[in-house]
Amino acid sequence: MKALRRLLVADFRQFVRDRTALFFTIAFPVLFMVIFGLVFAGEADVSYKIGVVNNDPSGRGQTIVAVLDSMDFFETTDGELDVMLEDLEDGDVRAVVVIPEELGSATAQEPVDITVYYDPSQSTSSQIILSILRETMNQIDRQITQQLPVLQLNEESVQSKDLRSIDYLVPGIVAMSIMILGLFGSLTLVEWREKKILKRFAATPVNKPTMVSSQVIYRLVLALVQTAIILVIAYFAFDIEVTGSWLLLIGLVLLGTLSFISLGYLAVSRAKTTEGAMPIIQILQFPMLFLSGIFFPVEFFPSFMKPIVDAIPVTYLGDGLRQVMVDATPLHSMTTNFAVLGGWLVVCLILAIRFFKWE
Amino acid sequence: MVIEVENLVKRYGEITAVNDISFDVNAGEVFGMLGPNGAGKTTTVEIIEGLRDADAGRVSVLGLDVSKVPAKIKQRIGVQLQAPTLIPLLNVQETLHMFAGFYERSLSVDEVLDLLALQDSRKVLVKNLSGGQQQRLSVALSLINDPDIAFLDEPTTGLDPQARHGLWSVIEEMRKKGKTVFLTTHYMEEAEQLCDRVAVIDYGKIIAMGSPEQLIYENFEESAIQFEMEPPPSIEVLQALPGAANVALDSNEIIVYSKNVPATLAAIMRYSEEGGEDRQLKNLFVRRATLEDVFLKLTGRRIRE
Repeated sequence: MKALRRLLVADFRQFVRDRTALFFTIAFPVLFMVIFGLVFAGEADVSYKIGVVNNDPSGRGQTIVAVLDSMDFFETTDGELDVMLEDLEDGDVRAVVVIPEELGSATAQEPVDITVYYDPSQSTSSQIILSILRETMNQIDRQITQQLPVLQLNEESVQSKDLRSIDYLVPGIVAMSIMILGLFGSLTLVEWREKKILKRFAATPVNKPTMVSSQVIYRLVLALVQTAIILVIAYFAFDIEVTGSWLLLIGLVLLGTLSFISLGYLAVSRAKTTEGAMPIIQILQFPMLFLSGIFFPVEFFPSFMKPIVDAIPVTYLGDGLRQVMVDATPLHSMTTNFAVLGGWLVVCLILAIRFFKWE
Repeated sequence: MVIEVENLVKRYGEITAVNDISFDVNAGEVFGMLGPNGAGKTTTVEIIEGLRDADAGRVSVLGLDVSKVPAKIKQRIGVQLQAPTLIPLLNVQETLHMFAGFYERSLSVDEVLDLLALQDSRKVLVKNLSGGQQQRLSVALSLINDPDIAFLDEPTTGLDPQARHGLWSVIEEMRKKGKTVFLTTHYMEEAEQLCDRVAVIDYGKIIAMGSPEQLIYENFEESAIQFEMEPPPSIEVLQALPGAANVALDSNEIIVYSKNVPATLAAIMRYSEEGGEDRQLKNLFVRRATLEDVFLKLTGRRIRE
């Protein structure tokens, strides 16, 4: 225990002296959030013109139109599909929502598609519009399938409008930070191995579990501190309050950190030098960053990428955090999120223990 | 006996780094392992320290089997590795404090700082230490647990003469306290100065063992006459010198081991004078034989290239 304590003290001493580490764990996520926050904050005042083509004679189509109409975010015009599409091409509207004829007869067993046309060249606004449409449709869909009164649906729709881009983004930034912290954390052991510091430790009675534990505990504490800082700034700057259970949130942060640490250790288990390990971590990090749905809803990705999206752990961490922090529509159940993260942890841990070279 | 090594073998692929060596180290002695780089010194020491596994043979330290209870042994030995391997962003005092926490028993950080003359740099980060300071910190770490045996692997490499003598006095201090010191070095004069006994190792084999005096006495009754000549005389000429018992020729540096120094010297002078300009004598001196000469005699090579 004394050895573990001293190692931890040493870890934190190094951390506060390491400017790069300080920047990437604390300043980077905060800067990221503030910059994106400012970008999106400007756009939030703007309302987007969208076209709505309602082919459904039943009340349901009308409900959707009414909900979209009632949102400050959208300015709706209705009309024929080909006229609307021309407007889209001309940039007069940003998206066209087509409500199909069969909507009235749709059931949970036989769902129908609501088609959205958008201009991919206007990627930022398209993404925002799509994410909000998706949220809105999900809310409406839930109401319809639960057959709740239309009156309540309007109330709900006001809430779903409140899910701003920044709300979507902040949990993503927390997930990203945890991923970076965990993955890059594995480099310390590689550096210690390369510089023979591990060998020096091996000449003392300190055992490997103690050394690894100090590293892991240190990163878990950092992850919590980092998340706390992001949440505090998100609260004051963007008015984001954690809506769900703090216990779940802490659980997600810790489990996510553990999963990424073990994934990191596995990835660098055979790397000989820090220079060799760095690109491995980066190659691992980039696709995870962009395919995880941390920043963009997963619907934006072409379908052949879906399996990757479904496989990587960040997707589940991001989704879990989004549910807990801003009460977003779940992509997966919380149990699934925990199970997948836990699965990654166990598998990577076993493989890392098997393959990690200590000298 | 605090260290017993029996028929130790270590192979790396085709190369046999340690080739069936056996020796004992007595309690309280300064034992030196002497040999050129790559002779197998470090490999041997690291097996004894429990850092590497042997391919064959038996090693016991403080009566305990290294392959069975390494952790127990590590509590009671101090280790200094060849290259200083420390955490760059900790300072001297913090590094010592951390290591002290790894052991059940430890000296105070101050005590060790005093011993290694590191008090002035106690707050300096490891990355800002000079090579010599790092080396001293590395030795300090090997003493932090007040070990029964300290293993010092080339502790004076890279030290300036003053720091080297400082370290020698640390080792003398250890001897006075009744500790055992296991030293590896390729500095012959260091071994002669410090060690009660040395084992000379070459190509993974011990080629001689005993006290430095004993080794020199056993191999040389002669004194060494060392000089340079350009171009050097042939071996035959040198061996024919009166009194010459043995001859070593290394580029234009010549060593003649002589039983009759006056006669040999006179002959060398004469030979030089006869040749005039072509046989100019340079840097001639006479000395008693050293461990370096022992190594040269036993292997035909000098210990440093």
